[in-house]
Amino acid sequence: MSGDTPIIRLRGIQTRFGMQTIHDGLDLDVRRGEVLGVVGGSGTGKSVLLRTIIGLKRPEGGSIEIFGQPFPETRAAARAVQSRWGVLFQNGALFSALTVAQNVRVPFLEHTRLDHKLVGELIRVKIELAGLPPEAGAKYPSELSGGMRKRAALARALALDPDILFLDEPTAGLDPISAAAFDGLIRDLQRALGLTVVIVTHDLDTLVTITDRIAVLVDKRIIVAPLGDHLENPHPWIRSYFHGPRGRAARHEP
Amino acid sequence: MTAPISVELARTGPAARLTLGGTWTLQAAAQIQAALPARPDEGITRLAIDTGAIPTMDTTGALLLARWLRPLARHGAEIAFVAGNPAHHALVRRVDLAERKPLARPRAPVLIQLARRVGHATYSSAAAARDLLEFFGLVTVTLAGAIAHPGRLRGRAIVAHVERIGLHALPILGLLSFLIGVVLAYQGADQLRTYGAEIFTVNLLGVSILRELGGLMTAILVAGRSGSAFTAEMGTMKVNEEVDAMRTMGLDPVEVLVLPRLLAMILTLPLLTLYANLMALAGGAVMVVLALDISLAQFLAQLGEAVHVSTFWVGMAKAPVFALLIGLVGCYEGLQVSGSAESVGRRTTRSVVESIFLVIVADAGFSILFAQMGL
Repeated sequence: MSGDTPIIRLRGIQTRFGMQTIHDGLDLDVRRGEVLGVVGGSGTGKSVLLRTIIGLKRPEGGSIEIFGQPFPETRAAARAVQSRWGVLFQNGALFSALTVAQNVRVPFLEHTRLDHKLVGELIRVKIELAGLPPEAGAKYPSELSGGMRKRAALARALALDPDILFLDEPTAGLDPISAAAFDGLIRDLQRALGLTVVIVTHDLDTLVTITDRIAVLVDKRIIVAPLGDHLENPHPWIRSYFHGPRGRAARHEP
Repeated sequence: MTAPISVELARTGPAARLTLGGTWTLQAAAQIQAALPARPDEGITRLAIDTGAIPTMDTTGALLLARWLRPLARHGAEIAFVAGNPAHHALVRRVDLAERKPLARPRAPVLIQLARRVGHATYSSAAAARDLLEFFGLVTVTLAGAIAHPGRLRGRAIVAHVERIGLHALPILGLLSFLIGVVLAYQGADQLRTYGAEIFTVNLLGVSILRELGGLMTAILVAGRSGSAFTAEMGTMKVNEEVDAMRTMGLDPVEVLVLPRLLAMILTLPLLTLYANLMALAGGAVMVVLALDISLAQFLAQLGEAVHVSTFWVGMAKAPVFALLIGLVGCYEGLQVSGSAESVGRRTTRSVVESIFLVIVADAGFSILFAQMGL
């Protein structure tokens, strides 16, 4: 795969719920190794877009290519793709009946045949990489705070060293200090592991500090550009989003 | 995309050079483990590592390398990366740091764990019984307050719950009772025929259904159908913080949520029991008329002989008590839900098991009571 082919390529995506059209002819390229932020007003289908890319929702039209190929139809081939991405759901979606360490073990059990001891060490590494203390591994998700649960979910998403990491509102519900720490963690991991990261977020600080490009969902389509270009864009929603008081505060402008 | 793993270790006296190549990733873990020499030679005091031929490395590859280097580092060997991607070198150092911290998991001996569990279970059952009693007290006080000010009784909510507990249960309860009647008549007739006493099948039906089975079957069905629904509904409201919202608005959850359900249950269960009794007797009658040489008129005459009004009332008197138990447990468990959606499921299961258990215990108590009263 050459560096120029986008790692994710959406063309003419249409999604509908009943009579309501969410996306109409949406195009998006995600470049290898970039951090892409996805923003949009409530109900513009940010999460739907994420679910469409990861195959949880079938679009009514258009094509999706991941790693340069359409999403495979057969289960075995789909599993191969699924082992190359990690997804952090909004509320963590940790398996509540399993401890954190067992949660991180699940992808290994499903997708690899490594010896037990090595997997145990890898799990410890992932838990540490996600910024959790080692003793967190033996705890159940219900025993963790919101921020720790997100980190545990991140450890699980990172289990198989994915090429792409999808994050759905990773900093929602975290206090500003935890949120900033989480942003830093994502940035560090992205650099150390060479990840491609797609973040759906409302957090303007996240957008400003860690994203390379920002995809804005407006009028059922997407406009992708670096932050600087969005600031110039005359579209009313984009203007009010980035030039509103919160947007200015995040960019440290008066 | 993947390059084959290569490992080359060149010794020159105490110094050595490790030249690595290939994609050091999770997918190649087995090859990496095979390619690395079993143990590094302990005589090495200086090791230069060249990762120039590694295009990609992930945490698994880094960990495998770090693991292999560990004995050397422990002997105080100097290890240095001389060529390759600095990001990969940083990754190797990073995962090794993570490794040194042990995963703490304190474990008590098995016997102590067992004793601890037994003690914990005993204590929590006792605490649950006490809490349920306390809840009963709270509900009684609230009910007394509501009766003093009837405006606080929510009539519409009660009617809605009566519809859901009662009306919607009619088809399944009717079918179930009818079939119980059929089965009872069939089995009874089969046994009594040996003595030529088929006609007493009617006595068997009348007494067992009216005194015991009608009420018990109804209570168990309603506990499974509506008691569980109480817990699930109120538990969901608890998880959604709706109950807390009510409190902050000055609404009493016991008055708003518990009383209508409990009163609806107490009103409805006796009616359902009556209906179940009739359906079960109808099922028995159909079976008796079809399978035995007994006419419907004979059936009714024999039923009149066998059953007294007191038999009917003995069965019916239990229904409000069962209703109280089911309603109390259902609402209590619903309000005990805390935190997650998982807790709703657990409490719902507990609610059904506890209310059926209590219904059967109460039924046994009634048997003793009525026996003492000579009924």
